[in-house]
Amino acid sequence: MKFCNAKLFWKLLLASGLVAGSLAVQAQPIKVGWLSSLTGPLSASAIAENQGVELAVEEINAAGGILGRKIELLTRDTAGDPTKAVNFAQQLAFSDKVNFVIGPVNSGEGLATTPMLARAGVPNIIIGAIDELTDAKKYPRAFRMINTNMQWILTANKYAIETLKKQKVAVIADTSGYGTASAKSAIALLEKAGIKPVYSVLIDANKTDVMDEMTKARNAGADVVMPWTAAAGLLGRLINARGEMGWDVPIVGHPALMAAQIRKLLNKPEYWDKTYAAGYTSTTYLPDGKLPAPTQALVDKIRPRIGGGEIDITFWWVALGYDTVKMIEHAVKKAGSTDPAAIQKAMEETTNYPGVYATYSYSATQRDGFPDSGMVMNTANTFKDGSFKLAPN
Amino acid sequence: MLTVLVTGLAIGMVYGAVALVYNVMFSTSKVLSVTTGHISMLGGVFGAWFIINLQLPWYVGLAGAVVVGAVFGWLTDVLAIRRVLARSDEHLWLLSTLAVATMVQQGVGLWWGTEPTPFPRLIDQAFGAGMADQKFWLPIILAILMAIGLELFYRRTLYGKLFLAMSEDAFAARARGVSTDRIRAMSYVLSGALGGLAGFAAGQLTFAYFALGLTLTLNGFIALAVGGLGSNIGALVGGALLGLLNAYATYWFGGEYQQTISVGLLMVVLLLKPEGLFGSKRVRPV
Repeated sequence: MKFCNAKLFWKLLLASGLVAGSLAVQAQPIKVGWLSSLTGPLSASAIAENQGVELAVEEINAAGGILGRKIELLTRDTAGDPTKAVNFAQQLAFSDKVNFVIGPVNSGEGLATTPMLARAGVPNIIIGAIDELTDAKKYPRAFRMINTNMQWILTANKYAIETLKKQKVAVIADTSGYGTASAKSAIALLEKAGIKPVYSVLIDANKTDVMDEMTKARNAGADVVMPWTAAAGLLGRLINARGEMGWDVPIVGHPALMAAQIRKLLNKPEYWDKTYAAGYTSTTYLPDGKLPAPTQALVDKIRPRIGGGEIDITFWWVALGYDTVKMIEHAVKKAGSTDPAAIQKAMEETTNYPGVYATYSYSATQRDGFPDSGMVMNTANTFKDGSFKLAPN
Repeated sequence: MLTVLVTGLAIGMVYGAVALVYNVMFSTSKVLSVTTGHISMLGGVFGAWFIINLQLPWYVGLAGAVVVGAVFGWLTDVLAIRRVLARSDEHLWLLSTLAVATMVQQGVGLWWGTEPTPFPRLIDQAFGAGMADQKFWLPIILAILMAIGLELFYRRTLYGKLFLAMSEDAFAARARGVSTDRIRAMSYVLSGALGGLAGFAAGQLTFAYFALGLTLTLNGFIALAVGGLGSNIGALVGGALLGLLNAYATYWFGGEYQQTISVGLLMVVLLLKPEGLFGSKRVRPV
């Protein structure tokens, strides 16, 4: 009898240990690393994304967390520096032992961190547009939520050729790695569509005047100018040059053409007319003047957080930031844990997940979740309360 | 083609003005400070801040930009030059001025922002004036005036002669009772003021942009090396040559070759005429 009691005692002790261990895991927070360039180049987009990320984390934690586990957000300011981004990514993966990493914001930083995080096996939500950042074989746990650069180019090319019926294209890009690669892709896609650009040039992003290049484009007979650069200074100078030349030709291209910063750089506000940029269905006003319902709901939540007045930040960044955290919530719930392999499987099985920024789908071979249908063309000078109007069809 | 000429000349003269600033600093300290382009960056950024943000008249903005430049010039001497020169003859000033330049750029980036911002129109002139636009001729005229002013300063004033004396032989100047530390500090204040002025005049061309400093430092140095260290006319000619070469290279071959051609020009001059187009071969008798 005494022997039986001792056996029972040990069994109970083991069982209680297992339960306690299990509860301890349950109570552990889900650590999410957030590589954000809150200062430095592209800080404007990162600050906007951060609004969405923080709101989603607060909402989820207020609702009790994910599977009973709260999210612990570890924000690291990379200042847009790839070296800092790699150092922070290593710290997050190996020292903080995070369950997920969101970011970094800039594609250049992402090129440095994505392989590193892939080696560490940490699920990585990609928010850089450059095409090389995802690869189902090389980076199996990296899932992109932003559109690809190719989707921007395809959308803009399609608008210029099919909607505006332009055939004589001038492609202008900056001399950075991004500009050079984008110009190459844009020209290749145009040629595939049977259109050989009448003029193409790479310009240093800090070149102080672009009148020569625009004059050459006009002399080459261009009927549309397609710039591929994120440099606001260069875009502002191109638009100013077109205005001062009195050249009535549309400018169609990169979303940075719509940036609020451009408005400040223009010599005259009307120079911004006939400028169209690749944008998003989610942040485009519907014909009735309203935003899509999920976007409007998020706008209503964000507005009090940024002072309660008109939203003066480009809202798609906020929506993207919000969706990244909600996607993590979805993946953990679907996987039933934060085990990286299970998360990968859950993400691969995700189809038509409805976010605010877009509806996302992945598969065993597909790591770019943003659908082509999520892209539209916007009229650049129609910014209002964070969103834009649809470009004329 | 006229646009290429005018735009190339305008930015070239900005480089020439920065090269003049290098000359003033170099005359008394034999230092080529990395902060030189950053002084002009501050002139542009603070000029825009005074006029656009604080709504001050343009002449107050101009005075403010000059004062900010002068103060930064003085700080460069205090923080990065004085103690380094006192302790070592080695070229440690390269690191100390690089450190100050980096800190200033980062600081301006955090305070002012990292996107280029507009610089106000200084003279009432409609946009669309083409090559007659003030953004082109303001930096050209200013660089020429700066060069003339410096020549007059060196030839006609006592302090100018003291600068020249230190430039020729700082030890001899000190032996003759010249307070070399004070004269060097003055030269940094003067160069700061001129750099601020150059940045202000070029603001419409360059925008008020935090990352402009390093570009101006590099291109100003190339202009100086091409024209000849110590020569004011050389600085202007070197700057104009560099600006025109860049503009025509971009026009004919595309922007991807611009930097290569700039540095290529430097290499060619260094190999064929190391003292620069207007520099003098200085042989120190021993």
